[in-house]
Amino acid sequence: MSDKDATETSAVTEAAPILKDGNCESAEKPENKSQPVASTRKRPETNPSRDLEASQIPAQVPQDAAKETVSKDAPQTGWGYWGSWGKSLLSSASATVATVGQGISNVIEKAETSLGIPSPTEISTEVKQAAGETNASENESSPVAGPFGMLSTISTAVQSTGKSVISGGLDALEFIGKKTMDVIAEGDPGFKRTKGLMTRSTLSQVLREVKDKEEQSPSNEVTMETDKKTHYGLLFDEFQGLSHLEALEMLSRESEIKVKSILSSLSGEELQTTRLELEQLKEAFSLAEFCEDEEEERQGDEEFTKEITELFAQLHVSSRPEKLARARNTAYEWIRTSLARPVTEKEEGEKQLETENTEEVKRSSIEDIHAFAIRSLAELTACSIELFHKTAALVLHGQKQEVTALERSQMLSQLTVMLCKDLGSLSKEFTTCLTTAGVREKADVLNPLITAVFLEASNSASYIQDAFQLLLPVLQISLIESKTESPRGEPPAQNLLTEH
Amino acid sequence: MAYAYLFKYIIIGDTGVGKSCLLLQFTDKRFQPVHDLTIGVEFGARMITIDGKQIKLQIWDTAGQESFRSITRSYYRGAAGALLVYDITRRDTFNHLTTWLEDARQHSNSNMVIMLIGNKSDLESRREVKKEEGEAFAREHGLIFMETSAKTASNVEEAFINTAKEIYEKIQEGVFDINNEANGIKIGPQHAATNATHAGNQGGQQAGGRLLLSPFLAASCPVEHALCPPPSSFVLS
Repeated sequence: MSDKDATETSAVTEAAPILKDGNCESAEKPENKSQPVASTRKRPETNPSRDLEASQIPAQVPQDAAKETVSKDAPQTGWGYWGSWGKSLLSSASATVATVGQGISNVIEKAETSLGIPSPTEISTEVKQAAGETNASENESSPVAGPFGMLSTISTAVQSTGKSVISGGLDALEFIGKKTMDVIAEGDPGFKRTKGLMTRSTLSQVLREVKDKEEQSPSNEVTMETDKKTHYGLLFDEFQGLSHLEALEMLSRESEIKVKSILSSLSGEELQTTRLELEQLKEAFSLAEFCEDEEEERQGDEEFTKEITELFAQLHVSSRPEKLARARNTAYEWIRTSLARPVTEKEEGEKQLETENTEEVKRSSIEDIHAFAIRSLAELTACSIELFHKTAALVLHGQKQEVTALERSQMLSQLTVMLCKDLGSLSKEFTTCLTTAGVREKADVLNPLITAVFLEASNSASYIQDAFQLLLPVLQISLIESKTESPRGEPPAQNLLTEH
Repeated sequence: MAYAYLFKYIIIGDTGVGKSCLLLQFTDKRFQPVHDLTIGVEFGARMITIDGKQIKLQIWDTAGQESFRSITRSYYRGAAGALLVYDITRRDTFNHLTTWLEDARQHSNSNMVIMLIGNKSDLESRREVKKEEGEAFAREHGLIFMETSAKTASNVEEAFINTAKEIYEKIQEGVFDINNEANGIKIGPQHAATNATHAGNQGGQQAGGRLLLSPFLAASCPVEHALCPPPSSFVLS
């Protein structure tokens, strides 16, 4: 009756054992692919973007697109390239979006480019190669999964799409369509294009479904232990991120309904001015500055704590960001210790890639870093969303209206940018750790872990930005109510009951 | 750990009756005499076993302050169970029960199981509300009733678990439509395997088959349903 794990979910697993898939070749066989595709979280499917980036690198040989994108090009460009991940995801999303609605051939052509597919003349060779590889890799039984699952998704997607283009354009089209939708739905940090989708299925719902899917995949059970340490979705839930997100969505939805009903009751000039003001609020939510600013040096712990506390003070809500600041500083502290005390290197001459078991033992240190990185990202994201939720509750609660909704929106927008940037630099530090610790590791062992960290950081930033967008209706209703209530001579600061 | 069902609970009642303490005692088995005021809602989760099945309780602990009332109402939706708490040493918290009950009934689904809890039963000397009064109120309004002490942990387990049992029975009787998440019940991963296949396929069709799984994907995927992303992600806006 009382196995009292508040966090029992963590026992459930994902299909994707990060640790198991050091093997690039096996990842590429289409037969295996269904699993990784299935178990990969939705956000990671934004990975066409990475391919897009990779395919823009002149050095790349098209034939290598499938495999080499992962194992070679990425290191060549250096992970610093990811400094701009926020942008690249955006641009890739728009690139893919742009392909939809064009002529079929055009779509295929574009998709080929964006998915890293070689030109038609090269496809035949590609297919032969792919077939060869497939045969070769079929002998290897190692399950493909983990963050690598999503890497293999790209490469297999490329291969398979390549094949489909020959056998019948329609397959490719459907596949691209699916990919496109995933990209639109999941890979759009700017959120604007996602809005339509978001209203239909809420973010927390999407996350929950993804998590559930991972929980229920039977193939996961073997790898439960390692998995639960590195499973972003489960960790995010464990930190109550999902619950806070769901609660925030409820407040957001309710506010949205109220805003609509109030607007429909207004007319004439009143309607015009209200509309105008709401429009201004919306602009504050566009996060334009996120793209403008180039990356800066990451802030020191005190700086960060100070700035975020100040931002919150200016919000005039009684929630405090201590929990977030603490979690964030703990993460950086961990990194510092980790870098100061490099892990014991493996003996030379030893090879990985032999069996997974030996590999796992040897790699424990980079695994630790990876696990801690994913955990930190999940925790920071959960804390951020909790902050947004509490802020929403307090804004609706109607305390201290001496700050206007517009001012609050601007603060929150700044806060969002700050949080996302900090996640970016945190992930860079984590990957520095990984690179340092895994200096002797082969690229195909290390890179998936590095990629996973960047990817989850990018996802985290998307979740935070999506959660930020949920605050818009909340601030809208607060704006409308402050307008309608002040003229009646009610002191706004005392106006605790904001409901209608 | 995989669960068969997930139930969403809400805990409601006047401020200071011990809602957060009850939750803490249930999830962490400890008592904290001084608690910050809850802002909006806080969360807790725990696994219990009923009829040999693992059930995950996801508990929303709401703010009791009057000024938060309009906000906390928003959280009621989709709850399968509610713990309506009063303080046996404060008559006014008992007097407010009707309002709470109306609120709960109005903002959540009609099948929601409500457990009335008279908390702080350890403070017998300061008792203002007789146990019989609680029982009578519960009987009158069709609630389950218990007196608990978050401090001594008396009846705390029972309060949460008996509520779950009642919900579970309602599921068995078919009162709850478990496929409708608005009822605050979710089928866990163990059960979902078969259901999800249907759900996934339906979702796919709704979304307009054109954009969906290409033949090669479907053919090469042994666990077909797991492949379908949430249906909504396919829908073109």
